[in-house]
Amino acid sequence: MASISLSKSEKSYIQTSLTSTPPIRGDGRSLLDYRPIALEIGVVPLANGSVRLNIGKSTHEGAGGTEVLAAVKLEVEDVVNGDGVDGGRVVCSVSCSPAAYPHLSSNALDDLSYDMTTVLNQTLAHPSLRPSNLGILPKKKSWGLHLDLIVLADSGNVFDALFMAARAALWDTKVPVTRVVEYQAKKGGAVRQDDMDVEQESGLDTRQVSRAVDFELPDYWDEGETLAGQDRWPVCVTLNIVSPIYYLDATLQEEASTPLRLLLALSFPKTEAPTLKASRLLGPGEVELSQIKALVQDGEKHAGELFAALEAKLREEDVRRNQKARDRFILR
Amino acid sequence: MITFTSFPSPPQTTAGHGRTKHHPAVEEDVAMDLDEDELSPGGSRLTCPGDSITSSQAFMRGHGTYVENEEVIASVAGTVERVNKLVTVRAIRTRYNPEVGDLVVGRITEVQPRRWKVDANSRQDAVLMLSSVNLPGGVQRRKLESDELQMRTFFEEGDLLVAEVQAFFSDGAMSLHTRSLKYGKLRNGQLVTIPPILVRRLKSHFITLPCGVDLILGLNGYIWISKHVKENDQEGEEGFDAEAVYSNQNDDIDDATRNAISRVANIIRVLAAHFVPLTDTILLEAYEWVMDQEIGTREILLEETSDFFVAAMTGSRD
Repeated sequence: MASISLSKSEKSYIQTSLTSTPPIRGDGRSLLDYRPIALEIGVVPLANGSVRLNIGKSTHEGAGGTEVLAAVKLEVEDVVNGDGVDGGRVVCSVSCSPAAYPHLSSNALDDLSYDMTTVLNQTLAHPSLRPSNLGILPKKKSWGLHLDLIVLADSGNVFDALFMAARAALWDTKVPVTRVVEYQAKKGGAVRQDDMDVEQESGLDTRQVSRAVDFELPDYWDEGETLAGQDRWPVCVTLNIVSPIYYLDATLQEEASTPLRLLLALSFPKTEAPTLKASRLLGPGEVELSQIKALVQDGEKHAGELFAALEAKLREEDVRRNQKARDRFILR
Repeated sequence: MITFTSFPSPPQTTAGHGRTKHHPAVEEDVAMDLDEDELSPGGSRLTCPGDSITSSQAFMRGHGTYVENEEVIASVAGTVERVNKLVTVRAIRTRYNPEVGDLVVGRITEVQPRRWKVDANSRQDAVLMLSSVNLPGGVQRRKLESDELQMRTFFEEGDLLVAEVQAFFSDGAMSLHTRSLKYGKLRNGQLVTIPPILVRRLKSHFITLPCGVDLILGLNGYIWISKHVKENDQEGEEGFDAEAVYSNQNDDIDDATRNAISRVANIIRVLAAHFVPLTDTILLEAYEWVMDQEIGTREILLEETSDFFVAAMTGSRD
């Protein structure tokens, strides 16, 4: 993992402070406190859904904190000839800005973005999370959902930020409404020979061949319906484990002095029980299987809190955004 | 506990597109005709990028300026400085510009033959020669080949140290030295980074706060906050204790001191975020004020508290 260099005494200072009773952190937070999270949706005008998120921004300065920009772009993909999948697909990619990791070489930066891409793509592109309204024409055309995230600055806890930004961007995404267009032969018109063949064979053919050949957009491009399964997109909590304790939302310095990190991505569907969508262990430290069980249970609790807080903020942002759109309309 | 906030809305740029806007303090200066008196070294003048400073026929352009249409124009936001006919702009947000004799806090980035490379928030890494450190066995000791082989036992990558700028190399990189008992490896604390311009030159950059916390204000914007070490406990000249000087082991630090260190760190972060220059007096006042108001360490960083706090600090100085 990318980490800043830290002297041995700094590491030991942070570790002893964390494990002392009561635990003390460099900025006075308790172990389970998050830094303030700033969030704004709809920041990229040309994307179908976008968000800017910052964890731990200092109040007046422009800089500081882990900053992530996420944007969703929907593209029509051909299932037969292109690389589309029937019913739509989700593709995630994460790129890290060199400004976020000035000490890394370009190769190391690529590796890091690849690592993050893998974690996000394997979790979010999983078939169990695929929204049901990404199909356009059965077996012919579908939406390809491309979720791109950029890490603009890293001051710790980048995975939580990425998953939160991903969830917010997908929440914000509007899928254009499509209507299927069919060609119908004119009544009484000349029927071509090859159509006749199909007609004759269809008595034996049990397959449902859709007659739809193309689609049209009844709305403007920026209108549409929200993605189905909005509540299922997971949030991630990182448990930073300094045995025997764990803590949340590590700063870069704390991350560098933590031997083991457990990522848990949990989904909280409205009607079903919470499910664990992904988990990763990062770092050279060790942990026993029996401990993992307890950690996952705790992680579920913290993720639930994070989920509820994010949900509330997203609803508030939706209201604010609609307000802004109305204001602009009035001005016009 | 999780709190969500919004990004501050960008300033409304509805009016005043036609002309350049200036800070009220400099509005009159700008409106005046530019003449030589105005660029006198006494009065400071702020610039924005693109502000015209003076005529290029009477003055020479220096750092932070460029010439267009026979005018010297600022390319950075900062203060105008003039030496004879040379006009420069000293940028507000910049890397550290070293000067000989400055006290800096740095971090070792590389170990090379007979030298360490040190990150000191400058444009280039600083250099610490093996010949400019105190080695175990006395100040007068000669450096042996065996010392070159065990350089990592003194400083290794990531180690923090406090040093003084000794000289410059021909390429502009600074050369450091730690040939004093005050200088050397740092332990028992944590580092806070602030913009270098906020650290003023003081009589002493080693500050002891009454809460049992030592501060080292590096002129490069790196500030080391650590547990207080008593004067007579510092390693003496004769019994120069290599193990203590180059140790990586922290002393026992009690919880009260750890809390105080965190509190001081947050105070410095807030002052830096509000762009208040740090001096020993303001730090002392700030710490007392925070203790009087019984503000928790975490609460200092919250927006309302920090605004209130900085208002109290800057108000009391006037």
